[in-house]
Amino acid sequence: MISFENLEVRYGPTVALKNLSLTLEDGIVGLLGPNGAGKSTLLKTLLGLLRPTTGGGHVLGIPLGTSEAAKLRGRIGYMPEYDALIEDSSAYEQVAFWGELSGLTREQARDRAHEVLYFVALDEARYRPVSGYSTGMRQRVKLAQALVHSPELVFLDEPTNGLDPDGRKRMLDLVLKVRAELGTSVIMASHLLEDVERVSDQLVILDKGEVKAAGSMAGLRKMLAKRFELRFLDPLNPAQEGQLTELGQVLEHRNGIYDVELAEADPVLPFRFAEEIGAVLVQLTPRHDRLDEVLIRALRGNLSATQESR
Amino acid sequence: MPIYAPSLPPRPELTDGSHPITVLTRFDLMRVIKRKVGFFIFGFIFLTILLIELIVLWGKYLINTSAGFKGFKDMANTILTQGADYQAGLIDWWLLVPLWFMMAFMVGGLISRDSLYRIRPLIYAHPVRPQDYISSKGLTAFLIPMVVMLPFALVPWGLSVAMAGASGPIWATAPLYLLPAAMVIALLMAAVTLGASAMASSPRASFGWVLGIVLGTSALGGVFTATLSNKQWMAMSPYFLVQAWPQLICRVSDPLLKWLPTLAGTLGHIALWTWIAVVRTKPSEAVL
Repeated sequence: MISFENLEVRYGPTVALKNLSLTLEDGIVGLLGPNGAGKSTLLKTLLGLLRPTTGGGHVLGIPLGTSEAAKLRGRIGYMPEYDALIEDSSAYEQVAFWGELSGLTREQARDRAHEVLYFVALDEARYRPVSGYSTGMRQRVKLAQALVHSPELVFLDEPTNGLDPDGRKRMLDLVLKVRAELGTSVIMASHLLEDVERVSDQLVILDKGEVKAAGSMAGLRKMLAKRFELRFLDPLNPAQEGQLTELGQVLEHRNGIYDVELAEADPVLPFRFAEEIGAVLVQLTPRHDRLDEVLIRALRGNLSATQESR
Repeated sequence: MPIYAPSLPPRPELTDGSHPITVLTRFDLMRVIKRKVGFFIFGFIFLTILLIELIVLWGKYLINTSAGFKGFKDMANTILTQGADYQAGLIDWWLLVPLWFMMAFMVGGLISRDSLYRIRPLIYAHPVRPQDYISSKGLTAFLIPMVVMLPFALVPWGLSVAMAGASGPIWATAPLYLLPAAMVIALLMAAVTLGASAMASSPRASFGWVLGIVLGTSALGGVFTATLSNKQWMAMSPYFLVQAWPQLICRVSDPLLKWLPTLAGTLGHIALWTWIAVVRTKPSEAVL
């Protein structure tokens, strides 16, 4: 679906994206990162609005930074983070307008606007000006305009922004439905880790223009399954502590408890290791980490971009 | 709990649609006219100008036909000769001043409304190139003043032809002069208004920018004119430029401005404000 090779984008002297090399498969991709991480620049580049300074890549088989970018945008849908709604128009009028702008005929765009507004459950409110809509309805109008031309790929920028828990659930259900029923691939940028965790099957963590971690959610979960907290009966001496690296990567050590990422997700390994070094293991706690742990570690630089593939 | 549709019908073809310029222009025109303020201003200014024009024509008709108006007729035969001055006078300050206000009110929001509602990044996320965007805005901004000015060239011509016949007085050729003048005026007004709109963050601010540019350059032109004792410096102002074009094209004997400063001023303003509009609406300026 998307691939980059040494992609670099600069704004004058400022490097916005550094040496990005990445391949993303069809599905739902979660794009995580703090403000200024380069998410917007990445989306602009993917939409063909910015030309890469060096390197390149392909989106849906079309090379980035070429004159074909305008055509590419007809195959992509984009739901912005902010309220990009035409306040004095109804949902129907503007969704039809965006459909026409994507290349549909006037009649097709009108028909399609009705269908897609029904799809996002706005059929009864579709003739009302959007200025009177609730936040949840406004988010669904934005999703409808991104889907009106049935894109192959859709970018959703913070789709659950400002929604209450019920609204969030509905929106995430819709995202899953877009993938499951329409077959549309989704790239969802969000800072809400729970949302990404719930819908994504691939994850990219971006910070300061660099990919800090990327891979499938299944792979990340597998990696997380290797983490355990170990506590020994007596404190380990320095020599024993040094040998701990044979067991795996020691991520943290506090009050005699070692946070270790094992080489393999096998809970028997720490017992064997303790026996080898002559220590008594009294606590073995699996760390059922959530995605926020991964994000924090990635942003601290403790998780390499390739680590997930182990 | 909303009821979601089971799914969407299959994907339609995307190859038969209209060009983005057509889509954007049509949407903008409808949006401008559908807004209540747009309806009011467009209707009010258009009708006001039309009324003035009809009063002038009716007066002229009375002068030519009624014995009671003999004195006026003598005056009309002397002053209102239906020559170049009278033709040029059909598009003059009384039409152009309200037109500037209408442009500031209605067209001023063309780009700034997109900025206010942050629509432009979304437009660029579709198969729209920057030149499509600015061309559609330019076309809309050009069409609106043209729609207002066109009747003032065509209605008197039509009446003249109807009353005096095709072989009648000079009226038969009047639109040929006034149409290009109206086109240049519309182009200049469109460029100034779009430039102002691109610099403003809201339609209200655009209104201020348009009037600021028109009045500011007029004041500056006035200062230069007074200081250097040469009224050609008035060509700095779009306000005087739009008045000069009908006079020059209709070959008025003593036009407000001469050809060269008018041409230079017009080209300068069109280039400057178009450049500003282009630079301020680039995709890289669009924050996603």
